[in-house]
Formats: sequence, structure tokens, C-alpha cells
Amino acid sequence: MKAVMTEELSKTYPGGNRAVESLNLSIEKGEVFGFLGPNGAGKTTTIKLLCGILTPTSGKCGVFGIDPALNPEKLHAITGIITENARMYDHLSGMDNLLFYGALFGLGESECKKKALSLLERLNLTDSRQDKLSSYSTGMRQRLSLARAMIHDPEILFLDEPTSGLDPESSQNVNSMITELAAKGTTVFLCTHQLRYAREICTSYGLMNRGALLAAGSFEELSGMVSPGIKVRIETDLAPEDIISVSNTTLNTKLRGDKPEDFKPECFQSNGLKPLGFKPLVSDSQSSVGLSYEITLNSKEEIPLIVRGIVEAGGEIYHVSAQSVSLEEIYFSLMEKNQLKAEAKENE
Amino acid sequence: MNRKQLALIKKDIKAITSNKQIFSVMFIMPLALTIVLPSILVIVTMMVPEASSDYRELLDLLPVASQGGDERKLVLELMLNKIIPGFFLMIPIMASSVMAASSFVGEKEKHTLETLLYSPLTLDEIFRAKILASFSVGMIVSFASFFAMLTVLEAEIFLLAGYFASFDIAWLVVMLLLSPALCLIAIAITVRGSAKAQTIEEAQQLAVFLVFPIIALVIGQFAGVIMINAGLLSLLGVGLAVFAAVFMKGVARKFTYERVLR
Repeated sequence: MKAVMTEELSKTYPGGNRAVESLNLSIEKGEVFGFLGPNGAGKTTTIKLLCGILTPTSGKCGVFGIDPALNPEKLHAITGIITENARMYDHLSGMDNLLFYGALFGLGESECKKKALSLLERLNLTDSRQDKLSSYSTGMRQRLSLARAMIHDPEILFLDEPTSGLDPESSQNVNSMITELAAKGTTVFLCTHQLRYAREICTSYGLMNRGALLAAGSFEELSGMVSPGIKVRIETDLAPEDIISVSNTTLNTKLRGDKPEDFKPECFQSNGLKPLGFKPLVSDSQSSVGLSYEITLNSKEEIPLIVRGIVEAGGEIYHVSAQSVSLEEIYFSLMEKNQLKAEAKENE
Repeated sequence: MNRKQLALIKKDIKAITSNKQIFSVMFIMPLALTIVLPSILVIVTMMVPEASSDYRELLDLLPVASQGGDERKLVLELMLNKIIPGFFLMIPIMASSVMAASSFVGEKEKHTLETLLYSPLTLDEIFRAKILASFSVGMIVSFASFFAMLTVLEAEIFLLAGYFASFDIAWLVVMLLLSPALCLIAIAITVRGSAKAQTIEEAQQLAVFLVFPIIALVIGQFAGVIMINAGLLSLLGVGLAVFAAVFMKGVARKFTYERVLR
């Protein structure tokens, strides 16, 4: 059974604001799914639809087979939710807040107290557990919200910007907690606009913009959509012609069959697989010991082959590093593609 | 009523008692209406010299069953049983609407309602728990005010006149029928308006117009224009209770996630 499933899910608010449009998602149990996009992309609306707080205008969705619109309370019993507008009571202490929410989830007092204390300790809130929430800082409130969302050991966590307002240490703490939960089988649906943060903990991603899903999948799948290879930087004393020769011989003969074609600086070749690229780096090309080159390869498996080729050709290697495309680059590239597609459609 | 709802009711009541501003409103108004104002009326009635008063003329105008006996006592009991119940009816309206405003709009204002909606309680269970919390507070304040008034007024009358005044059956109708019915109507009005109201103060004012017919009743009784006996009060009470039940059902039907979070 899928942890989360949506089919053509759409939500238009009264007044005509189309917040989510034809969203199709499928998330497996135990995944940490990063739902990424800028403010106003439709992330929070999607969470509210998945939690049954909003009713879809069209399409459908399910969380562990439960229709949120039909059985929201059943769904809430197995979910923990953090959104910007889901706050706790200022007149109660941190501990009392957790005890109250624990009682709402049907936990017995002693069980709830035990669970609350362990969560408070894990989130560094033990010392302030008896203080009223009104005296808590933003970061402390956010951490307490996380404790509240986990008080009943949910099967799935919907987290909307869980590290907003947290200092780096607390963020790190929250990240490791999310990773631990995922390792235990808890599914995490994480909304954020901080792409670097998402990259640290997510196992799959969905990229949103203006209510539409640009793409979804693992990082490798997403990077494959925008960049057909990985860039490798090599610093060696081998001359450019020799590098080309080594690359041709090593890669084409060993990985691409028997019809080698010459590389040309600043150009790409296509042989039915993905294109390869090669260029001497201009900006810092002249290092103290050799020249720097950037070669675009299909996969990491090709790196040792080319390194071995250079060494066998008598070259010294001073530096090798793979530079994979970042989540930001993927996101902006997909956004650009999407925009071009929309413009083309408009022109038609 | 399950344990989860009880937790919610307890939390709602604690929210009121821990908020000094709201708690003082809940305390001061009943104090003024059931202790201060009736005490003034009682003391003035008892202190006016019988020779210079128009008690006889007043009693002749009113259809009081027994007009014989101590005129001062008759006027006093007229005051206790016809005028003061009117003041008294404002208490459940005020207490329950303050509580309902805090419970519904207050949670919305402080962004805690959404968290509550993510709990495994059905929307209906949340609605019922909050209504019950508001109703309980309204009735607790009403009964506490009644017993405080009873004690203070009887003590004053005994000290000034040497006897205890008798409270008639109209009070039973007021306490057991009219107060609960008005309490529910005030809550329903506040809850119905809570979807649009953005602040607690705005929501509290919604049920204010309920006070106007009561003020008219008090003035009417005071001026002798209308006299409502226990029978008529019972009929009014039953009518209001039926209306309250129907009205509350209608409000509950409109209580949806999207509407309450709007």
C-alpha cells in the first residue's frame, strides 16, 4: 500500500485562486519525501488536502489507503502534522501541552508523560518543560511542535518547514531525528523551500511551482532529467590532445563499443547513449603543476577508467573530483523548461 | 462523551480561568448584576420611610395575588421575584458568549484551532466538547451567582427587617429552563458568527442583541407595563429551549473544517 497517493488532485479556493493543479504523487512507506518549491507553490495546500482539512476541487488522494476527505479523524490518528498555523497553547507549559495533545490521541497519562519526557529530552527542552509556552523562543516552539507531532508515534509525518526558525545545531538535531524515524519505517512528507536542507535528508523529491508538479523522483532521476551526466574535474600534467586520446580510447572502447570518435574541446558527441563533454577549464586552467580539465561523464563508474587511462599514458594526477548537479540547479532548470513549454503553448 | 472530549473541555475551562482579563469580566458582571444592584434595590426599599412611600399605590396597580400584609415585604418580594430575574438572565448570556468566543474565535486567533483539527476527534466531537465547555461555564457562573445572591440578599433582608424573603417558583423556571436555553442560544450565535469574526471581542459582541429583549422585559416589569408570571415564563422557557436546540443543530451542520479555518 502506498503511503501517499494523489490522482489529478486540484484545489481552487473560493475567489478563484488555483493553489494545486492536477497533482499526481505516489510515495512509498518509509520514504522521506521532499516536497519542494517557493512560497505560494501549493505545498501547504497539498498538506491540508492530504490531511482532510481542505476538500479537493477535483481529483482524489489517499494516505495509507484512507481517504482524507471521508475519514479525516481516522487519518489524524496515524499522522503527525506541523504547519505554520498549527500552534500550541501559550497559557500551558511545554509539558502540559504535550500531555493535552497526548490525551487527545488517546494516550494514558503515565504513558503520555513518559513519551513526552523522552521527546523533550531528545529535543533539548527538558529544562524548560515546566515553563509556559509564552516564554518559549521561536526555535523552542518549533521543537515542541515536533514533539507534539510525534507524541503518538505516527506512521506518517507531514512537516511544513520544520526547521524554520531553528539554529544550525537544532536543525541538525531535527534532521537526525527525522532520519532515525524514517529508518524505523515512518514516512515523512517534508515541505520546504530550503533545497539544501532537503538534499540532506530526503530520499525522493517532488518539485512544485505555482500549484503544478514540475517533476518527482529520486535525486538521480531528477538530475537525469536536466543534466545527462556528471562533471568530473581532473588536474593532470597530460596535454589536452593526450587527454582526448585517453578519453577516446578508454571510454569509447571499454564502455561504448568499438567505434571511437574524437573528442573536441568545447563540443559534445552523441553515439546513441548520453553525450560526453570535455573542456580545459579557462578560469583556473593553469595550476602550479598541471592543467585542469572538466569532463562530462555518464556515470561515476567511468571515473576510475579515465584516471587509469591517464596514469597508463604516463600522466600524473593531482586532483580528481566529481561535481554532481545540485538540487537548486535541477529545480531552476526544470522551472525554466516548464516556463518555455508554457510560453510555447501560449504562442500556439 | 469520551476521554478525549473531556481533555478538551478541561483545557477550554483552564484557558478561561488562567486568563485574568476574561476571568475578571466573568466575575465582575455577575457581581454587579446579582449582588451590587439587587442589594441597592433591597436597601433602598427597606430604608425608605413607609409613610413617605407610594407602596400602596404601586401595589394597587399590580395584579399581585395577595395584597394584604406588610406592604414593604410585598414590594420587596415583587422586586426579588419580578425585577431581579430579568437582571439575572443577562448572566448566562454574557458568561457563555465570553466562553464560546474564547473557545472558538480565541483558538482561531491564536492559531491553535488548526492543531486541534489535526487530532483524531471528529469535527462533531470537537464541536460538542466546545459547546459543552461554554455551556458548563455559563451554567456554573449562573448557579454560583444565584446562590451568592440568595445568601447576600437574605442576609441583608434579615439584618434590616428581621425576616427572610421568599423566592417564588419563577426562579425555578429561570434557573432550570430560561438560563440554559438562553445560554445555548448565546453560544449558537457566537459559534455561528465565529467563522467571520477575527477577534474574541468581535465574537463576544455577537450575542449582545439578546440582552435587549431582556432589558425590555426588566423595564416593562419595572414600569408595570407587563407582568410575567411563572406559567408564562415556563412557556417562554420551553419555546426558547426548542428554538435553542433547532438553532444549535443548524449551526453544527455548518461547522466544517474549511469554514472554521477561514
